[in-house]
Amino acid sequence: MDDNLESTAKGEPVDPEPSPRAHHMIPVWFFVGIILLIYGLIILGTGIYEFSSPPPTVLAKLHPAIWWGALLTAIGGIYVYAYMPKKS
Amino acid sequence: MLAFFALPDLAEAGKSLILLHPVDMLIIGVYFAMVLGIGFYLRRYTRSGDDFFLAGREMTAWVAGLSFVSANLGALELMGWAAASYQYGILATHWYWIGAIPAILFLGLVLMPFYYISRTHSVPGYLQLRYGESTRGLSALSFAFMTVLMSGINMYAMALVMKVVLGWNIHFSIWVSSITVAVYVALGGLFSAIFNEVLQFFLIWLGAMLIPILGLVETGGWSGLVARIHQNFPQGDYTHLWRNMGHFAGNPMGIHWTGIVLGLGWVISFGYWNTDFLVVQRIFAAKDIRAAKMAPIIGSYFKMAVPFIVILPGLLGLALLPFRLVPESAVGVGQHSYNEVLPLMLARYCGPGLLGLGITALIAGFMSGMAGNVSAFATVWTYDLYRPFVNKRASDQHYVKMGRWCTILGVVVSIGTAYLVMHFGSIMDYVQALFSFFIAPLLGTVLLGMLWKRTTSAGGFWGLLAGSVSSITMFLLVKFNPRMLSVIALSRDAKDMAENMYRALWSWLICVIVTVVVSYCTKPKPVEQLTGLVYGCTKLPSEEHLPLWKRPIFWAGVSAVLFLILQWVFW
Repeated sequence: MDDNLESTAKGEPVDPEPSPRAHHMIPVWFFVGIILLIYGLIILGTGIYEFSSPPPTVLAKLHPAIWWGALLTAIGGIYVYAYMPKKS
Repeated sequence: MLAFFALPDLAEAGKSLILLHPVDMLIIGVYFAMVLGIGFYLRRYTRSGDDFFLAGREMTAWVAGLSFVSANLGALELMGWAAASYQYGILATHWYWIGAIPAILFLGLVLMPFYYISRTHSVPGYLQLRYGESTRGLSALSFAFMTVLMSGINMYAMALVMKVVLGWNIHFSIWVSSITVAVYVALGGLFSAIFNEVLQFFLIWLGAMLIPILGLVETGGWSGLVARIHQNFPQGDYTHLWRNMGHFAGNPMGIHWTGIVLGLGWVISFGYWNTDFLVVQRIFAAKDIRAAKMAPIIGSYFKMAVPFIVILPGLLGLALLPFRLVPESAVGVGQHSYNEVLPLMLARYCGPGLLGLGITALIAGFMSGMAGNVSAFATVWTYDLYRPFVNKRASDQHYVKMGRWCTILGVVVSIGTAYLVMHFGSIMDYVQALFSFFIAPLLGTVLLGMLWKRTTSAGGFWGLLAGSVSSITMFLLVKFNPRMLSVIALSRDAKDMAENMYRALWSWLICVIVTVVVSYCTKPKPVEQLTGLVYGCTKLPSEEHLPLWKRPIFWAGVSAVLFLILQWVFW
């Protein structure tokens, strides 16, 4: 970093290119996908279990854990697949 | 922007509101493992000062934009505003729409280019370029001091919520959450804070969104919700934004529309979103100037949608809960306070697993807010206080090391503040007020500095000082003589909320007047020294070569139109 950063103010627009190492870093979206996939599977599993032992919550008959778990699994799966780090 | 949250009485917290199952604990455990894992992973990419304090300036508009919104989405904000919507109805939405959207769009279109082109690292850093060291020092000192204090207050309040809602030990909550934040921010700096904020953004939304969805299913949609609220509370109007703002006594907040528009919509909102480094720092990390402009504009869409997960649960509480919630000070045996509306609605719809996701959303919200505080503190302390005033000529590595230690120091001071508040609760009121003392005048200083080349260094410093001192004076006047509220807020019917709005407005006005007068009495900088800092002296990059749908102004326009439509729909 410039030792005297304050002196770098200029009239011309500055538009730096991203450094090459940014391309080697695992994208944040992959981490998002991993955690949503894990959560989706856990909640989906809980939802299946709740068919035999429904929770004492309002609208439990709609089985929110099933479809919310499925949604998280789908979103997480898509993100993991799309942003999986590639071997190079 | 944390205005409504009041602390539950610790002595009253005998039993927990929600009982977690092992699967919920598993979900919370996975979250902690993930955020720490991200911190350890990113450490290898955090070598220089630019990496640690500015995330290498490599963030895309989407990452910076989501992080920008997430840093503001603290858990207490979620619970506090849900409580406010139960208490005041849809009026609380003003803090998300007129109190945010115009200011965020202004940041993206007008201020961000100057922040970005000046290549500064912080808002006090910009003040140094424009006004000199004294203004930077005043701004940096007040910001650093108040940021760690606010972080401690939020930490204590959150630990108290965990005790009341989940029955967790208060010391356990404070230490586990703060050590986790300290570890991942100290390891990965702003890189780590931003990555985790994006993660937390998804968790907050997906954890909290189930409540409004199921709530609207239960009430039969918006019209059913409104009908039930009118049935339960026939004397009040909880579902209109502007209709009852014509007089102070016409609405439960006791505020006039001029206070909302000028105090909240102009001074407080523009001050917070444009000059509070806690949120602006995320945009500084954008990879180029277009990303820096687009990031807040992207954020504006999500900010506009936040009432869906915050305000709607409060309104659903009004419509569906079989008992009435009461103010914190009036909670009796078997009663619940306004602040518990969000956990109550969570427990109403969410069984095991979903409950863990909802609680993780609250923890994520708390940790994103705290990470924002400590990363901003570390940057301002290292670059705006330590480097100019203590050690000017150290190496970049030295400043990175200082940033890491500052992160830990910030967390330690926050923990100390949390314990201080535990024993002296009234400190919280003073610190929240103190934070607001500097935001409104700072807006005047930054705006005049960027938009008026005649503003001088002396004008900026004395204007900022006069605005802050006048704000403190007004606060003390009302504290010691409550009748002064009617003078400051211009009405005998005004309530506390109106005082905040009008105090901000007057202090901003005093800052502007003093800055202008002193500037006319002192010598301005030559124009060539203002290039890159002031409108009219700076060549801004043209966007004419871009197709319309890639231009920030286009998406800002769409956001503004959506904002106006929402005002009309909920008028």
